[in-house]
Amino acid sequence: MTTGNSNGTGDAKVQRILLAGDTTLDPLARLLERSPETPELRCSVAPYGQIYQVLLDASHPAWASNPDCLVVWTAPHLTLPSVGKVMRFESAEHEEALREAEQFADAVRQAASRVAFVLVPSWILPSYERWIQTLTWRQGSGLANLLARANLLLAEKFSQSPNIVLLDAGNWQAGLGRPAHDPRMYAVSKILYSQPLLVKAAAEIKAVLRGSLGLAKKVIVCDLDNTLWGGVAGDDGLHAIKLGAPDPVGECFLAFQAALKGLASRGILLAICSKNNEEFALSVIEDHPSMVLRKRDFAAWQINWKDKAENLQSLAEELNLGLDSFVFIDDSPQEREQIRQVLPQVYTPDPPQSPAELAPFVLSLPCFETASLGREDAGRTEMYHAERGRKQALELSGDIGTWLQSLQIEVRAAPLRHENLSRAAQLLNKTNQFNLTLRRMDESSFWSWASEQGNDAYVFHVSDRFGDSGLTGLVTVSRRGRQARIVDFVMSCRVMGKKVEELLLAFVIARAQLSGAKQLTAPVTEGPRNAPAREFFAAKYLNVDGAAIDPARVAAPPFIRLKEES
Amino acid sequence: MQDLIAILNDIRPGENFSETDDFFAKGVLDSVDLTTLVAALEERYSVFIDVEEMIPDHFRNLDAIRALLSKHGVTA
Repeated sequence: MTTGNSNGTGDAKVQRILLAGDTTLDPLARLLERSPETPELRCSVAPYGQIYQVLLDASHPAWASNPDCLVVWTAPHLTLPSVGKVMRFESAEHEEALREAEQFADAVRQAASRVAFVLVPSWILPSYERWIQTLTWRQGSGLANLLARANLLLAEKFSQSPNIVLLDAGNWQAGLGRPAHDPRMYAVSKILYSQPLLVKAAAEIKAVLRGSLGLAKKVIVCDLDNTLWGGVAGDDGLHAIKLGAPDPVGECFLAFQAALKGLASRGILLAICSKNNEEFALSVIEDHPSMVLRKRDFAAWQINWKDKAENLQSLAEELNLGLDSFVFIDDSPQEREQIRQVLPQVYTPDPPQSPAELAPFVLSLPCFETASLGREDAGRTEMYHAERGRKQALELSGDIGTWLQSLQIEVRAAPLRHENLSRAAQLLNKTNQFNLTLRRMDESSFWSWASEQGNDAYVFHVSDRFGDSGLTGLVTVSRRGRQARIVDFVMSCRVMGKKVEELLLAFVIARAQLSGAKQLTAPVTEGPRNAPAREFFAAKYLNVDGAAIDPARVAAPPFIRLKEES
Repeated sequence: MQDLIAILNDIRPGENFSETDDFFAKGVLDSVDLTTLVAALEERYSVFIDVEEMIPDHFRNLDAIRALLSKHGVTA
């Protein structure tokens, strides 16, 4: 459907995947290993027909590969005997099937403690299995009803285990357009699922893993003419562009804008890259009565007659994000091809020819997966607007010192808690530039680590008179006797350039001294993009060849107000 | 013929399909690859290969595959 590169140059290491199921899953293992995007996957398949042995026994040979991720794909009628009975009209109770489902869920939860992620495709049945359609949704006796209850039970049982992700296999099956099950392959080698379903499953598993590892795309850059509306505004004029009722083509572009707005509402940044007169284009955006997206919905724009590759680079600088987190949507094949050549790290898919397919196309892009949604995501565009406000204030005030003072920056320090864990883990896993050690951990592992004796984790909320940037700092310290070591020092690029890092370090030094430490070290891990963190710390060390911090080189900036929560 | 070799190379990149007389004996393909191969052949040549035909003999080498496709009216 969509072509075009989608390379992410993130620094995730090879992920080892263990696949366990009640049918032959080897084709899925091979598809996962052949997927070109990072991270690279190495797969092993647990022996056929040993689901419970593998899940319940940590010493089973299947675990020898020490996997990072477990995929458990079972067929409901095979792993839940009572579902099979209901299917074949043998006597069986819904309640018995749900008990079997519960048993399965408990076994998965046991296995979840051994890996970073568990992915469990939801239970689906072949679409040729019509059973009795008149009765299938009957409460207490119907097959579809039972399957829905069993899947809901899984969702409920897994809700306390943040590292278990229930995947929507029903969605894969529904979107296929071809059978999801292949009775022929099942007869030959017990491969239950058709090749198209396996291809889809591999793509979805990859997308979910990438999202959970912080490799999802963060920005979608759109052209204007024939992308956000039909026609060329500069030629046709504001009132002749196709947008909105009653023209069906106009309706399609409306739907596309609504889909983009949905993405923006959950934290994906929208930007514009268009060859147009800026003032005129912005006036179309603000004045056309049917526009769903207005200036305030865009985090940045480059509307001029310059080369688009140059513009994308300017956008990357302006948003302080790598080009490998960009998606570029443009109706012109020449522009797309140029970007693919010059900026291969940008994901440049081919949008559909028909405007009617634009909304479905953007809604089905798998590159924006995320493991959590929070306040910082919803308000992300506003934060970029606030940043523009700060930049303008800088231009007006003339010197940095006065400007910093005028911002009235406030930092609120708090210990890591359940309420801020999700956002803290998101920050840890997504931040590439101001990140000292580039340690990546899923939520539950991070919480366990922070709960250990001698380990401390602090989160920092940053705000100023222009707005609240949210939880944008995370520092963890490991104390052993008189030695304290900074394990994570992470700061969002959103708050760089305001000496917030200076305050964070001063805070940590003070806390370490309070707890009796005689020395604080901050060993660095070198990565392709964390020069900002490395350079900051290099200027704080006692000597050139050690990682011990010299407190005399650190001073809490007087223009930042610190509030401490206990 | 090139299409067929391309399909096989997609499944097992780097293997020498044109000069191997028995893919399975030489470990160039295995039974799991067979299912992927059948799906790819069906997609590419719009044929339907039924259960009875899914035997290793029909996929043992390039000639065998071409013979099978020929039975379905396809010259590969």
